[in-house]
Amino acid sequence: MISRTIYNRASWSVVAAACMLAACGGGGSDTTPAARVTSVKVMGDSLADSGTFGYKFTVQGSAGTGTGSSQIWPERVATNYDQSLCAHYRFNGASFAVNAACTNYAVGGGRINNPTAATAPTSITQQIKDAGTAGYSDGDLVLIDGGGNDAADLVGAYLRISSDRGASYRALLLTLLDATTVTNAFAGGSAGLAQAGGLYMQALATQFAGTIRANTLDKGAKRVAVLNAPGITLTPRFRFVLASIAAANGAAAATQAEAVFDGWVQAFNARLGASLSGDARVTVVDFYSSFKDQAVNPAGYQLTNVTTPACPVTGRGSDGLPTYDFPTCTAAALSAATPPAGATGGADWWKSYGFADSFHPTPYGHQLIAQLVARSLAQAGWL
Amino acid sequence: MARFIPSAPSAAALAAGALVLLACGSASAQVAGTWSVRLGATHIAPQVKSGNLSAPSFPGTTVDVHSASALTGGINYMVTDNWAIDVPVGLPFKHKFYGDGAISGVGQVGETKVIPATVFAQYRFGEANATFRPYVGLGVTYAKFFKERTTAPLNGLTGGTPANPTTASIDDKWGITPQIGFVWNINEKWFVDAAYYKSFLKTKTHLSSGQSIDIRLNPNVFAVGVGYRF
Repeated sequence: MISRTIYNRASWSVVAAACMLAACGGGGSDTTPAARVTSVKVMGDSLADSGTFGYKFTVQGSAGTGTGSSQIWPERVATNYDQSLCAHYRFNGASFAVNAACTNYAVGGGRINNPTAATAPTSITQQIKDAGTAGYSDGDLVLIDGGGNDAADLVGAYLRISSDRGASYRALLLTLLDATTVTNAFAGGSAGLAQAGGLYMQALATQFAGTIRANTLDKGAKRVAVLNAPGITLTPRFRFVLASIAAANGAAAATQAEAVFDGWVQAFNARLGASLSGDARVTVVDFYSSFKDQAVNPAGYQLTNVTTPACPVTGRGSDGLPTYDFPTCTAAALSAATPPAGATGGADWWKSYGFADSFHPTPYGHQLIAQLVARSLAQAGWL
Repeated sequence: MARFIPSAPSAAALAAGALVLLACGSASAQVAGTWSVRLGATHIAPQVKSGNLSAPSFPGTTVDVHSASALTGGINYMVTDNWAIDVPVGLPFKHKFYGDGAISGVGQVGETKVIPATVFAQYRFGEANATFRPYVGLGVTYAKFFKERTTAPLNGLTGGTPANPTTASIDDKWGITPQIGFVWNINEKWFVDAAYYKSFLKTKTHLSSGQSIDIRLNPNVFAVGVGYRF
């Protein structure tokens, strides 16, 4: 009887001690997401491209793709679900081959409205259709971005009005707007021309939302996150453009142009948000606001430079803007380079930069996008 | 002669005695030197004022800490007829942390267990044998946080991965805890003790991502227990 009591006491204290040591029911991290995601499918542009061209549109890791390569935002999001991504389309120098086992359909240069190659993988609309044809299951998480290149196309065509008498701007507008609207816009002077850009971006958003609805939601996708378009006027590339406008036509003209271009992006985002609202299967990630906040408040994101690309300039484009070469812009090369004046962090100086080239984020910028997407996914109850 | 005096009182005699004491209602001794223990429950409702999570984070990233209850008790020693030393004891409380501010709606970002070890000095009003004795107290609290556990949303928000998750560590802190309460004596041995106290407690949570967040907890605490006096 006595020995039994002692035995019981001893076993209780052993259990108690074991609990303390083994952290019974607690400690560390419960990394299980709220939703069981068994596949991540991605459509979009260069921001989401896992290596269609053999590299990623950021500073390269020790490899261009796969193990050792830099993690871009959709890959980081997929990692939270223990999933990995690889490029669905592979460019072989002349055409795109398909790797059906890979579910990242995003392609650098992807546009929602790609008039010159409407059925190519560089059309995000086509990517969404291809993914829809492959079909969706309940365990799929769909990540879509787009609109940045479309806005850049529109700005480029608008800026050529003085040199080509509006031919390219008119042609682009006509791909989404009816002839009467475009004719009226051109009759309306500079205000009419600027306003037409907004109408174009609204029509683009309507079309984008319709494409997503018909080919994603209607095909059975239960969880779709769509990034809205970033304010491209905050990219180094458009800061160059605005600076050249300021040099040619004065600061007021540059400020006005910036307001017009930013207004177009906002018009796109407002329409996209409205078109996709009210459906629990879709969450729209406010990339626009976060991107702008990073530009205004870089320290809050531990960014030391949000205006200068980290990669070296390798040439000049036909538009006079600097060009960059991603395959040679590697982490090792940047760390080996002499840090620019004012940069901090020694060999890691480029890791706190926002931009890799004049239009694409660094790997750290991708981490910040992934964190933004994670917030939306968690708010939707999926993470 | 001796055989007419029982060496031990019978159960009936004890019960009769207890009834007599109850009827008198004035023999509830809380005199100096009395030990008592109690068993009950305690509810801790943090009144959170969260700082912002340090960079890199969305501006205004804060947290809310939800309430927790646990099975608790306490030990009390009457130093004098009016002054007591009181030590609440109990199982750890498990508090859940939820995203707030810029990350409102992301759900649970973590949880922690806490033992708020407190020693009170109490002044009990009234006579030592009064049925109802309100009291005031002042305590020193040492909040020991352990088994901090983060979630998938926190990982996603701070760049963690399943293989290398963002973990959390909460600083253990001292605080001051004023208290009001009362003891209601059912009989000489049994009593009910209820108290409200407020801990003034600030702490800091550190994430393995290098980020940190200040949180003022200042919980309202409600404790109730049934006690036995020796």
